[in-house]
Amino acid sequence: MSAATITWKQQKVSALIGILSLVLVMVALVALSIGQVTIPLKDIVLMVFYKVGLTAQQPDAVFETVLWSIRLPRIVMTILIGAALAVSGAALQGLFRNPLVEPGLIGVSSGAALAVVTLVVFGSFLFTGSALGMSLVMPVAAFAGGFAATMLVMKIGQQLGKTNIAVLILGGVAINALAGALMGLVIFYADENQLRMFTFWTLGDLGGATWQKVLITAPVLILSSVWMLTYQFPLNAIAIGEAEAFHMGVDVERVKKSIVFFSALAVGVSVSLAGIIGFIGLVVPHLVRVIFRADNRLVLPASLLGGPILLLLADLLARTLVAPTELPIGVVTALIGAPFFIFLLVRANHKNEFTR
Amino acid sequence: MIEAKHIGLSINGKTLLNGVNLSVQPGTFTAIAGPNGAGKSSLLKILSHELTNYKGEVRINDVAATSYSVAQLSAVRAVLPQHSQVQFPFSVRQIVEMGRQHFKSTTRHNQELLDEVMELTGVADWANRNYLTLSGGEQQRVQLTRVLAQVWDEKTFARYVLLDEPTSSLDIAQQQLIFSLVKKACERNIGVLAIVHDLNQAVQFADQLYFMRNGAVVAQGESKTVFTKPIIEETFCCRVNVYHDPCTNCPYIVPERTTLSTLKTASV
Repeated sequence: MSAATITWKQQKVSALIGILSLVLVMVALVALSIGQVTIPLKDIVLMVFYKVGLTAQQPDAVFETVLWSIRLPRIVMTILIGAALAVSGAALQGLFRNPLVEPGLIGVSSGAALAVVTLVVFGSFLFTGSALGMSLVMPVAAFAGGFAATMLVMKIGQQLGKTNIAVLILGGVAINALAGALMGLVIFYADENQLRMFTFWTLGDLGGATWQKVLITAPVLILSSVWMLTYQFPLNAIAIGEAEAFHMGVDVERVKKSIVFFSALAVGVSVSLAGIIGFIGLVVPHLVRVIFRADNRLVLPASLLGGPILLLLADLLARTLVAPTELPIGVVTALIGAPFFIFLLVRANHKNEFTR
Repeated sequence: MIEAKHIGLSINGKTLLNGVNLSVQPGTFTAIAGPNGAGKSSLLKILSHELTNYKGEVRINDVAATSYSVAQLSAVRAVLPQHSQVQFPFSVRQIVEMGRQHFKSTTRHNQELLDEVMELTGVADWANRNYLTLSGGEQQRVQLTRVLAQVWDEKTFARYVLLDEPTSSLDIAQQQLIFSLVKKACERNIGVLAIVHDLNQAVQFADQLYFMRNGAVVAQGESKTVFTKPIIEETFCCRVNVYHDPCTNCPYIVPERTTLSTLKTASV
């Protein structure tokens, strides 16, 4: 009887992952189809067939340009970023044994923001106002800043050769505060234009996607996201306690370092591509846990699929609500995410889930 | 056998343990008793290799503990800490399963073993319940189930279970149940070491008894032989009377009513 229960459970997990994958494909198709130019589904299918070489029928030239050069890279980038943010969030929540953690806590976002604002305000001397040079250097600066801040936070969290999670979180708070103050200082010297540019960058933007950017960053994003998926068991064990995980045979120190490193990598690259997009890393793992309980063998893969679904939908809203212009994606995710987060907190109050 | 020799530990210049010798034989139940702050938990952490900055040597099955990898250690010993705080809504079965994750918990044998242990500790009925909705005592039982599951499998080598106050949040019926379970574990070539606060239970169930005070062992030996009025009074600085149960002849203590002044004279 027990064996039957297990196979049923395994099937349930695979079924859920299957359903989520299907939903992701459907949402991606809808996102490809809807926009300023609506492309019928059959034309999308036709173009895929044409690109693969299954049909010789030439697709509509306008459709092809919109789909191939604008919408598809954007959607691929959205999927990659959504997955990276959500998996990082899930892994960090598991590692910090705190369901309220999001990737920004380890300093990635604020470090990146500081680097970008510094570049925007003082960088013009370096690039003599070349817009192209700026657009190439900005992502690199964002990544470097984010990564450096995280490494600093990790360094602060080291005590007697071990990573102290409480100190690490406080270190994150301190580094975030310091970065915020430095940003304020830099902004003090900014002119109107620079201020506007920086503000929009902090609100996130998926619009700048090109195949070139996607191809350069995809390997890093895919590698770091998938790598974090392999920590399902160690994270489950750490959920009971760090000492307990060690007793159960988990090399806790190694797990801590790898997860912080790879989530900083994933989130750093995401921020460098699309600016700061909040709440995906916080809300998606939560949603998954509300629906499927806490087992990381499900939470991690389900977040990998749920992140892109939510970000695609948010991006769809951002693109269509105020067409022909766009809302910043960070505004949309926060508008959806913040009320949902409040709902979770109130609900947690009732169920006493977080305070125990 | 787990063997600790000349264990010393000082943290920030304060000596917590000094020259402690202790051994745990497979198939027996060894209990440690002593007042708060005697260094019992620190000793347990050293034996489980959680603390590594100690002086002296710990050998597990005749191999130095330092030469075990983290994964290898998990196959020879399981540990139940005083408190386990779980922050996420795992189901009871998921918690217990974690004890066996290193042994590929999807195989049929593992699942049967999990069922067996869960049946034994009486948590099988809650298998699908949310762990966070259980009472403190029930949670403790689930954690103990997880710990037992980790080393329950019959192996060619002896395994050990280290328990830090396993019955601290349980009612007397549950306490008796836990200790009977511990004795059952001994039958599977598992050596059990437990920190026990209730002296009457310690002497009732343990084969070997260690009394600790101020980071050193005051007395050790077969439980019924060391369970004497002078040793207990010296360990706890508290006047006690030792009686014998007329049916089983098992000794038990009743502490004397103490006023603060008598407590003072006892410690002098």
